[in-house]
Amino acid sequence: MQRTACLLLLLVSLVAKAAEPVPERCFLDGWSQPLQCYRLQVGESVSGAELAVFVAPALEQNGLDPVFLLAGGPGQAASDLTPILPALSKVNRQRDLVMVDRRGAGHSGAFACEEFQGSVVADLDETVRLLGQCRKGKDNLVGQLNSRTTVEDLEQVRSQLGYERIALWGGSWGTRTALLYQQWYPASISALVLDGVAPIDSKIFLAAEAAQAALDKLASDCAGDPQCAALGNWQAQLLQLIADWESGGPTLKVIAGQPPIAVTSLHLQQTVRTALYAPEAAVMLPFSIAEAARGNYLPLQGLMQAVSGMMDSVSLGLMFSVACAESVPRIREEEIVSNGRNSFIGEAFTRTYTRGCEVWPVPARDYPQLSPQSHPVLFISGAGDPITPPVDLARSFAYLENKQQLVVQAGAHINTTRGCVPELIERFLDAPQETLDASCVAEIDLPPFMLSEFGFALNEVNQVVVSAGGADEQEAEND
Amino acid sequence: MIKVRGLKKSFANTAVLRGINFDVPDGKITTLLGANGAGKTTCLRILTGLMTPEGGTVHFDALEIQKETQQIRRRLGVISDREGLYERLTVAEYLDIFASMQGLGGEAKAEALASVRDSLGLDGLWSRRMKGFSQGERMKVSLARALVHKPHYLVLDEPTRGLDVLAVRLLRKTLNELRDQGCAILFSSHVMQEVEELSDQVLVMSAGRIVASGTPGGLKQQCAAASLEDAFVEFAYGSEARDKRAEESPA
Amino acid sequence: MNNENPNFGWRYTLVPVLKKELTEAWRDKRALLTAVCFALLFPAMMTAMMLFTVKEKVQKEPQVAILGGERAPYLANLLRKGKVELTEHKGADDRAGDHEQAKALLQQGNKVVVLVEEGFADAYMNQRAPRLYLYRDGGDSGSGAAVRRVRSQLAQGRQLVTAQRLTAQGVSPGSISPWQVQERDISTPSARSGLILRALPGLLILGLFVGSLATSVDTSAGERERLSLETLLLQPLAGWQLVLAKSVAVASLGWFGASLSIIALACMMPLMPLTELGMQHALTVQGILNVLLLLAPIALLVAVLQILLALRSQSFKDAQTQLSIFQILPVVLLTGIDVAQVELAEAWQLVPLLGQQQWLKAALVGEPLNLALVAAGTLVTLAIAGLAIVAGGHALRREALLSNC
Repeated sequence: MQRTACLLLLLVSLVAKAAEPVPERCFLDGWSQPLQCYRLQVGESVSGAELAVFVAPALEQNGLDPVFLLAGGPGQAASDLTPILPALSKVNRQRDLVMVDRRGAGHSGAFACEEFQGSVVADLDETVRLLGQCRKGKDNLVGQLNSRTTVEDLEQVRSQLGYERIALWGGSWGTRTALLYQQWYPASISALVLDGVAPIDSKIFLAAEAAQAALDKLASDCAGDPQCAALGNWQAQLLQLIADWESGGPTLKVIAGQPPIAVTSLHLQQTVRTALYAPEAAVMLPFSIAEAARGNYLPLQGLMQAVSGMMDSVSLGLMFSVACAESVPRIREEEIVSNGRNSFIGEAFTRTYTRGCEVWPVPARDYPQLSPQSHPVLFISGAGDPITPPVDLARSFAYLENKQQLVVQAGAHINTTRGCVPELIERFLDAPQETLDASCVAEIDLPPFMLSEFGFALNEVNQVVVSAGGADEQEAEND
Repeated sequence: MIKVRGLKKSFANTAVLRGINFDVPDGKITTLLGANGAGKTTCLRILTGLMTPEGGTVHFDALEIQKETQQIRRRLGVISDREGLYERLTVAEYLDIFASMQGLGGEAKAEALASVRDSLGLDGLWSRRMKGFSQGERMKVSLARALVHKPHYLVLDEPTRGLDVLAVRLLRKTLNELRDQGCAILFSSHVMQEVEELSDQVLVMSAGRIVASGTPGGLKQQCAAASLEDAFVEFAYGSEARDKRAEESPA
Repeated sequence: MNNENPNFGWRYTLVPVLKKELTEAWRDKRALLTAVCFALLFPAMMTAMMLFTVKEKVQKEPQVAILGGERAPYLANLLRKGKVELTEHKGADDRAGDHEQAKALLQQGNKVVVLVEEGFADAYMNQRAPRLYLYRDGGDSGSGAAVRRVRSQLAQGRQLVTAQRLTAQGVSPGSISPWQVQERDISTPSARSGLILRALPGLLILGLFVGSLATSVDTSAGERERLSLETLLLQPLAGWQLVLAKSVAVASLGWFGASLSIIALACMMPLMPLTELGMQHALTVQGILNVLLLLAPIALLVAVLQILLALRSQSFKDAQTQLSIFQILPVVLLTGIDVAQVELAEAWQLVPLLGQQQWLKAALVGEPLNLALVAAGTLVTLAIAGLAIVAGGHALRREALLSNC
């Protein structure tokens, strides 16, 4: 009997474990593997919230810092980042990947503005009217949606999950969240990977110049390809179409399955700008515009349909709450004018936000004085990114001691999944102090330009598709 | 004194022991003499409690083997077969283990081990594993094991089989010493010479019975034989014809 | 048993018998070697198997040739970017020559030869779906993987062309996907390695049997045949003490063998490319300790049963044969249950072997154990072992055990 009692005691002591938040097994679309899902209470009781947290657990539990994935927008949910998980699967062998849906996004009570769903609103006044409707009666919620709260929430999630230090992956606006997290809780961070960089002091919604630069980059790539160059001066044609359609353009089926509508120049501008986010879509612009100039609007209509779904997952309410508090108030009127002066998009993009914020009252919030930080930071930028173009590290990030940058020449917005970038991220996280050999980034090609109804030419030799993902799946991120 | 009374045993309906009676007195060496198959081993096994008789009793002084088996065994030394050694143990380990099984411990055990080691000349073998031991070496170790707890009763089944002269002499010397110490010693044999030299009393066994008993000299006289061997042949193989007579006058 | 003298109580006599049995058992080099060999055999096999699987999976880039790539440079470049070792060959002058050369290239060690016929690009531009020939040798083991890589590369190109052609027709590329398939793999990484570890409980239990077989025969039928059993039976010991001591000695070897297996496996696990296969290194120190604890009672039971069986047999050889058969039965049974995926009610865990198999499986992949059931099942196992020991004690009194001389 003594023997047995001993055995049982040992068994009990060996099997018993300490109590921590207990996850449920769940799934997210776009990732076939089970995730550990938590609903964690954060914040003080009155201003608190319950956040949806998704952890893709590491295969090897070896104590390496997890990677928190911070989504863009602001308005995108971390749980919508599943398309980048396959690229990070090697990282995931050693490290947990943690996705926290911030307040107002995804599974943490999306503040979506249903008013905009399923239609393309290309009229500023109408946009403003719908925003006003969406904003009504949401004062309490709006007041909670800002970067400070998000970082505080993330910090609480970090500690509740028992992680001592974490690495951050930020995409687009998520890079700003990450940079702010670094400022406010430097001790909690081990390293940062920032893809599509939005420096803390940058005016992200002043994007006309960046959009034009991306279009220019596309034009120069096209000019370097004899067959694309043969399409003619499609940039001038684009400006002409924008001018022509000011008072109404052709009637096109801009959303598959819905009746055609008369498109406007704003439609065209938005389509071009959005297409620039993804190289697979961008390479169709020259031919589509050239055809439209000849009166064949079908390719353009196809592109419009392709980009129409790209904003669906963004919670506009969250987006405006953050933008109107943190970013838009810093934009001065003369900046809008000068920024839009030489751009195909003009002032339209920025005005959407400045006008929207007029019906979206929220107190302006300042960012902290930047203090020097020594965490290793990897910047990833696409040379053709229309919203977060490559940054001048020396100028924008003088306060960071330990930084390096990958510029994907053939890339646009978000390049984590392209070519050898996933491997470089993995190498960086394993040895963040070392300088990466980034030569393989040059091997990433632009997809071949669309030249005709048959698509691209088979004698295109320099330009090859790199990523299997469709344009409409992977790059669905607004700044 | 070991008292054997009316032992009966049969295997597969064949009677092996047909009513055996004899005494093994203290301070004497008693020999059970019989041909192979006469039932000697069975008799000794019943005596030591390994087998259960169908009839009859065995008393070790006041104790009965079937009832107080373990108590008797603590005062009993047996050599049933010299083959039964453990090749992977050293002599020292072997004797230590058996001494412990007999309830010896501490200084008593150490003394007992030293005593058998000296008296049987085991020094050279002491820390050797027993693999490859000669018959003589095996006998010495077996004897040491049987004697280590200083038993009052000693039962040996064919102890001299296959032994060389020196070993037989050592055995004889040891048994004589034990007799002088008052032990009751019973051994079985079919070798006339050693029986004659060692025995105080001989029991002739044949076909499951004790057909004659007495001192070696007495037995020779009983049938007017020149040697013990002649006497044995007369008793053992002439016995079947004289069954009736043997029944009427038990040994 | 009668212990009127405290010095002769079983506590005193059991120790020397145990000492004797353990010393003998652990000095039997042959038995030890058997246990160690078997213990190391299957972790080694498992590691080798897994390395082989991974090698298959991440084979070095297969050799692929493209013939007539100059007729569609895009395709040649596309394949070059794929995970293949591409060689490029100019097309022949005529169609028959192309195909002859493609076959010849296949003979030269290429796993796949991609043939682009003359006029491919023209037909493509006229949207007449030109043919692309993939030559392969279906009998060649590597050709399947190579074909898959070529196909996946080509699929990327096709996806891009399709998107552009649809867009040109005014249709969103997304509209050709009438639905999205979302796969949900409910297995956990540790459960997936459980797939590999699934055979482990059965093998560990087999390890117990194999590890203790030689010793159990040696200590029972062997002792009997070497005529040493009789001497032992003549000592003032109860039969159950002898059987218990022998069982503990035999069980110690079986348990040692099984423990060695699991420890060897744990040591080899870092060598196993588990994560490459999307699995977890599920073996933890705690898991191993749990396994060792869970194995101990069943090791004892196996040992007692082996000894009983060996004591019943006619001879040493006979005992070996019987035990060899005896060790296969439970393993066949357990494997059968496992392969047939029989869902057993929880109460079945009370049955020795079945229970241990379930617990071991859970312990190995770090799943929680139902402690009440483990305790109850362990008690059942120990109780049966106890009964068997008592029965063995009685069996020792059988006169048939004694040698015939």
